[in-house]
Amino acid sequence: MSTPEPPSHGPLSSGDLLGQTTQAGLSSEIPPAPPSSQAWLRVFLTTATTVFLAELGDKTQLAALLLSAQSGRPGVVFVGASLALICSSLVGVLLGRWLSRLMAPEQLERAAGVLMVVLGLWLGRQAVLQLAADHLQAGTARG
Amino acid sequence: MLALLASTFVTVFLAELGDKTQLAIVSLSGTSNRPGAVFAGSALALVLASLLGAAAGGSLSSVIAPQALQLAASVGFLILGARLILRSVGAQAESTEAVANGSDTPGP
Repeated sequence: MSTPEPPSHGPLSSGDLLGQTTQAGLSSEIPPAPPSSQAWLRVFLTTATTVFLAELGDKTQLAALLLSAQSGRPGVVFVGASLALICSSLVGVLLGRWLSRLMAPEQLERAAGVLMVVLGLWLGRQAVLQLAADHLQAGTARG
Repeated sequence: MLALLASTFVTVFLAELGDKTQLAIVSLSGTSNRPGAVFAGSALALVLASLLGAAAGGSLSSVIAPQALQLAASVGFLILGARLILRSVGAQAESTEAVANGSDTPGP
């Protein structure tokens, strides 16, 4: 209670100990305080996992595209596809920022939550339907 | 070479516009105040996924069923969505409480 948790560097960061703070900043690679870098990492990992899982199951069309061009120059196709994906995620981030300026936070959170739940239900339904169809096909092939 | 690069870029970019992934990115970046982290995470995941798809090609689908991955992704979406809805409900309750408390105390 007597010591404040995150700004414990607060009194230290005055004049003579500035070198130490910069060193600490360099070692963690992110200049601001540790709590903010932790939050950054959490958002980063959440986004990366969600997008990675969502894209991997959906990668068939992109894989087909890459394979179709594999006879020629797969490297060029990969660079082009990567650039396009990075640009599309940048568009998504900017769109989200723009929306967050337009709407109240709670309103946007609710809308985003509903959107996520709908997407999740839709994705799950598709996967289950596909699984059922595969199962049925295997059953008829066997029977 | 440039033509192939451009055609790949345009095809993939158009295919990704309005995709569920982009919708997820929009909602993530709109509701967290760390757009840099959302951009870095999504860009890395997308490139990694496409690299894996290109490297494994058809063999990936024989190792792990794409439906299983989609199910995992749908569960992730549901969890994120439920968390956002709960948070917005909590924030709303808090703000109405604050308003109710504020009516008792004299204004600034």
